[in-house]
Amino acid sequence: MALRLLWASRVASHLRISVAQRGFASAVLKDLKYADSHEWVKIEGTKATFGITDHAQDHLGDVVYVELPDVGLTVSQGKSFGAVESVKATSDINSPVSGTVVEVNKELTESPGLVNSSPYDQGWIVKVELSDAGEAEKLMDSDNYSKFCEEEDAKH
Amino acid sequence: MRSPRILEVWRLGTVNYLKFLKIQDKLVSERKAHQIPDTLLSLEHPPTYTLGKRRTDHNLLIPQSQLTKIGAELHYTQRGGDITFHGPHQAILYPIISLRSIGFGARNYVETLERSMIEFASMYGVKARPGNKCETGVWVGDRKIGAIGVRISSGITCHGLAFNIDPDLNYFEHIVPCGIADKEVTSLRRETDALLPSEEVIHKQLITCLAKAFSYDDVLWKEDPSVILDTQR
Repeated sequence: MALRLLWASRVASHLRISVAQRGFASAVLKDLKYADSHEWVKIEGTKATFGITDHAQDHLGDVVYVELPDVGLTVSQGKSFGAVESVKATSDINSPVSGTVVEVNKELTESPGLVNSSPYDQGWIVKVELSDAGEAEKLMDSDNYSKFCEEEDAKH
Repeated sequence: MRSPRILEVWRLGTVNYLKFLKIQDKLVSERKAHQIPDTLLSLEHPPTYTLGKRRTDHNLLIPQSQLTKIGAELHYTQRGGDITFHGPHQAILYPIISLRSIGFGARNYVETLERSMIEFASMYGVKARPGNKCETGVWVGDRKIGAIGVRISSGITCHGLAFNIDPDLNYFEHIVPCGIADKEVTSLRRETDALLPSEEVIHKQLITCLAKAFSYDDVLWKEDPSVILDTQR
């Protein structure tokens, strides 16, 4: 647990944000926004970077393949744009915001495991030019996302 | 007080793969729209090779032109996993269920599918185990008896598992099964001397093991498969 907080702090200092400490195992970073399908997004002006959360990668298992969208693709909030494969399961990833894809993380083609080892940093998946900055209001902040994860995990 | 969790089960006999895909697409849409409860299809396919999203067709060891000669079809799918074979006397279960309502991710889901098959095998005295890392599936020693390949979209599952009761294992010679070379494929017939009951009974037992593993309160056995097989509706 201490190791994960150390890792999260390192990531946080790199991203210049602070770590929200919670009782359960997965890391949630303050100042990111979260979708209920477990994607995180960092918004900087009209651009956004997103990926899947620590909770998501933990529940997926070891990622062996990431299906990246093409640059130029239009993505819509809540709609699927790509997929990851782990433990013989392909899981759709949904876009937390709407916009146009301007860059994808090509490192993930050779090293899909970055999604597991560094979900908020080197495991980023897509960068978009936002089409509707107001949409971010529909997403959860770190406190709400932490609660959401606790509630989901309590279901079984 | 939570409402009881029900699994609706359709036993469909032998279904051609393309027809199954049409049925599955329809059910997945209906499940996403909350029009149907958690649903399970239990069926067999005629000899069919299928590939997953990564399209690892280098693991098909014969040219595609030879497939009709051996009486088999090949289909590309969106499921996870590598190449596999489906055929008569292999029990296939396709759960179309909501993972969000039980807070499951891919890993929990696949592990529970593995446990279902292991529990079922134990009914015949066969000690099966889950795969090692990167070898998802169910094994007896170093021989694979059950395969898994699934897709999860908006928290709804499709595709599923295949358990070898007594299929013609020669068909597996034409592929590198699941992309794992140097490992044998086996079947319930090969692993036990026990008298096997009818396949209808066997399928029912496998379904019951799955329903138990996923903690369903009740199983609803749907009697009229024509309702679901008529994809024109």
